[in-house]
Amino acid sequence: MNVDIGNAVRKNEEAETSEERIVLETKDLNFYYTPEVKTLKNINISIPEKKVTAFIGPSGCGKSTLLRCFNRMNDLIPGVKLEGKIEIDGQDIYSPEVNLEDLRKKVGMVFQKSNPFPMDIWENVAFGPKVNGVTDKVELEELVVSSLKQADLWREVKDRLKTSALDLSGGQQQRLCIARALANKPEIILMDEPASALDPISTNKIEETIEELRANYTIIIVTHNMQQAARVSDYTAFLMTGDLVEFNSTSTLFTNPDEKLTEDYITGRFG
Amino acid sequence: MKRILSFWKRGDSFILITAGGLLFSIFMVVLIVGIIMVKGLGFFWPSDIELFQLKNGERFLGQVWDTEQARLTDKNGKVRIVNQTNIKIGNRDIYGRDFVWINNDDIVKKSTPKNGVEFERWEYGNMYGFIKSFTPVSSKDRINKDNFFSEAQKSLKKALALKSQIEEKQNAINKLLTPLSKLQTEISLSEINKTRSKAEIENLRKQEEGIKNSISAKLELLQSELLKLKEENAGIKMTIVTADGKSVTLPLYKFVRFFRPNQMSVMEKAGFYLTKVWEFLTEDPRESNTEGGVFPAIFGTVLMVILMSIAVVPFGVLAALYLNEYAKQGFIVRMIRLAIANLAGVPSIVFGIFGLGFFVYILGGTIDRLFFSSTLPEPTFGTGGILWASLTLALLTLPVVVVATEEGILAVPKANKEGSLALGSTKWQMIRKIVLPNAMPGILTGVILAISRGAGEVAPLMITGVVKLAPSLPLDGTFPFIHLERKFMHLGFHIYDVGFQSPNVEAALPMVYTTALLLIVIVVALNLLAIYMRNNLKKKYKTSTF
Ligand SMILES: Nc1ncnc2c1ncn2[C@@H]1O[C@H](COP(=O)(O)OP(=O)(O)OP(=O)(O)O)[C@@H](O)[C@H]1O
Ligand SMILES: [Mg+2]
Repeated sequence: MNVDIGNAVRKNEEAETSEERIVLETKDLNFYYTPEVKTLKNINISIPEKKVTAFIGPSGCGKSTLLRCFNRMNDLIPGVKLEGKIEIDGQDIYSPEVNLEDLRKKVGMVFQKSNPFPMDIWENVAFGPKVNGVTDKVELEELVVSSLKQADLWREVKDRLKTSALDLSGGQQQRLCIARALANKPEIILMDEPASALDPISTNKIEETIEELRANYTIIIVTHNMQQAARVSDYTAFLMTGDLVEFNSTSTLFTNPDEKLTEDYITGRFG
Repeated sequence: MKRILSFWKRGDSFILITAGGLLFSIFMVVLIVGIIMVKGLGFFWPSDIELFQLKNGERFLGQVWDTEQARLTDKNGKVRIVNQTNIKIGNRDIYGRDFVWINNDDIVKKSTPKNGVEFERWEYGNMYGFIKSFTPVSSKDRINKDNFFSEAQKSLKKALALKSQIEEKQNAINKLLTPLSKLQTEISLSEINKTRSKAEIENLRKQEEGIKNSISAKLELLQSELLKLKEENAGIKMTIVTADGKSVTLPLYKFVRFFRPNQMSVMEKAGFYLTKVWEFLTEDPRESNTEGGVFPAIFGTVLMVILMSIAVVPFGVLAALYLNEYAKQGFIVRMIRLAIANLAGVPSIVFGIFGLGFFVYILGGTIDRLFFSSTLPEPTFGTGGILWASLTLALLTLPVVVVATEEGILAVPKANKEGSLALGSTKWQMIRKIVLPNAMPGILTGVILAISRGAGEVAPLMITGVVKLAPSLPLDGTFPFIHLERKFMHLGFHIYDVGFQSPNVEAALPMVYTTALLLIVIVVALNLLAIYMRNNLKKKYKTSTF
């Protein structure tokens, strides 16, 4: 596999130099789906604020699992166990005083398969604010419009807000899901292969959207597509069989990785 | 051998077998519905009246009901086959029977007399005969040959109008007497039960006197008016000659209607048919349910099904929600599922017995002791009623609703549920906004199945509140408008009652088919309503097709 990353690296260089605040940090994180199998092994990672961080790695290495630890979606699966700590803004998100709904409001998520609700477009975007207690009509309207604009969908749907979200194209549905997550005014947005099911043009659109969001949000994106990781991210984490092999600035990781394993992977020797 | 093996392997035989199975099912359904329709729909058609003269001089006037071949053995031990005809001759009060079988060989003459009249009566079934004379409404000499029959109809109208006036008067009198009789029962009850002191009873007796005095003048007036009306109505009479020349004189108010089918055109018969169908659908039954309408039974059936649905849907849905969304999946939940599924296989009479034991005796009895102790020992809720019957059926249909709802819930895409939670919704918000709307079609499927099962049940109802003849509907204009403790009528039970319990099974048989047809129509209509609702919802909540 040949990775053309020259442009992307140059673009991201200046970002590395500026001062960064860590917004999300894991400490010795272990995760088990079943007591015997350790899916994540001793992960220590610090995600900087208002940057795009990409998770790459071979299929089944635990990228999605790690991502889903950040908004505690793994809690839904019976029998899982988590060791270690995950702190967001210095607060352990697994401590009992954390309100799950508040956490998920703060840490939004976009799934691999777009999952718009079977309602109209407007209701889809307003869903998050509504369940989180926003009742004011004007405020809701404002949130819906601004979220759709940020997700780069407004121009396409502004005349059909009351039609079913299921009638949108695949790419539009995914951007709707991004808008839906944005309406909650999250700090962190988790994206699990948001473009893997989309055609190149729609993928491009999603990447443009991420480009626009990067100034205001911390974005963590899982991707299989290394060009994509190189294009959109500031930092990249390489995971393999549950281990965090390397976490580095994207330019370093793709041009001059510290680890031999990383180099093998990005040059396509396996994976 | 090899050929046979490959024949089995290819499965061609199974195509035939499955197709045969389907064909057989369709055939049976068509057969059942067909028989019921043919036998049920013809009931109201006014067939011609025929006059039979027999060798032995007997004459019968009536409608051909049935024909049959019979084997007869004569004196010499020789067997011969004869065709027989069953004729409905009516006039039960004269002949003591409604039907007569005659040998076709014995018929000397058969004719359809133009002025043969069929009389429908409130009691004693039909009459067949010829009108000889009647008390006219207008002056006697205005009647001639041409307007004889229409004048007779006018007299009937007059008599029926008087009849309803008499009923009104009677009701007025009853209403006037209600407070008095209430007070009297109270007095006698407290005398028996010794719940009141002598002085109190004395006081009540004074009240009784007071009421008596206050209404006596009005009562006397009403009663004299009633008497006058009754006398007047008894004076409007008709003399009828039967086939064998007997003449009978009856007051006209005993008739519902009379008509001459032999003179009616097809259009007139069709109109008459529709009137009869309408009467069947909208009126009360007469003559121990073998005549008149079935309105109370329709009403009871529909109301019971609605009450049952109201009861079963919330419970079934909540149970299914808990099982799927909250309960920890494991052995216990599996056992509960199994138990619910098995509940569907319990014979319905067992549910009936449970309903009687639990709802009627325990629940109803307790309610009576707590809230209706003044009327005890006369039970209010402690006896069968539409509420208990509906609840029993709700229990019976609960498994269907639970299973169908579970299927609906399972069909909700996991991605949508996760999406909702990931947006910070609580679990309950997720259930309310995502799961329930999406499971709605499944829930309604459950309702449809429940209605189909519930509307057709008879056995459990027989011991929890259905009666042959309910004095009043469970829904009426007196407070509190819906009377859940009342007994009710039901089409399914009506079929059983008319077909097997009535004194005159022969005459009632067509009614059985007609009622069965109606029950099928009602079940289908209720189902169509639910299906229509489900399709509407499906359109609204079609799931993501990505
Ligand atoms: N619900 C689950 N129960 C048990 N094991 C699971 C579950 N989900 C994932 N796993 C296992 O955990 C491991 C990591 O899975 P995960 O989905 O995180 O991989 P991934 O890196 O996201 O892979 P991909 O790139 O294919 O999406 C895999 O071996 C997978 O089989
Ligand atoms: Mg994954």
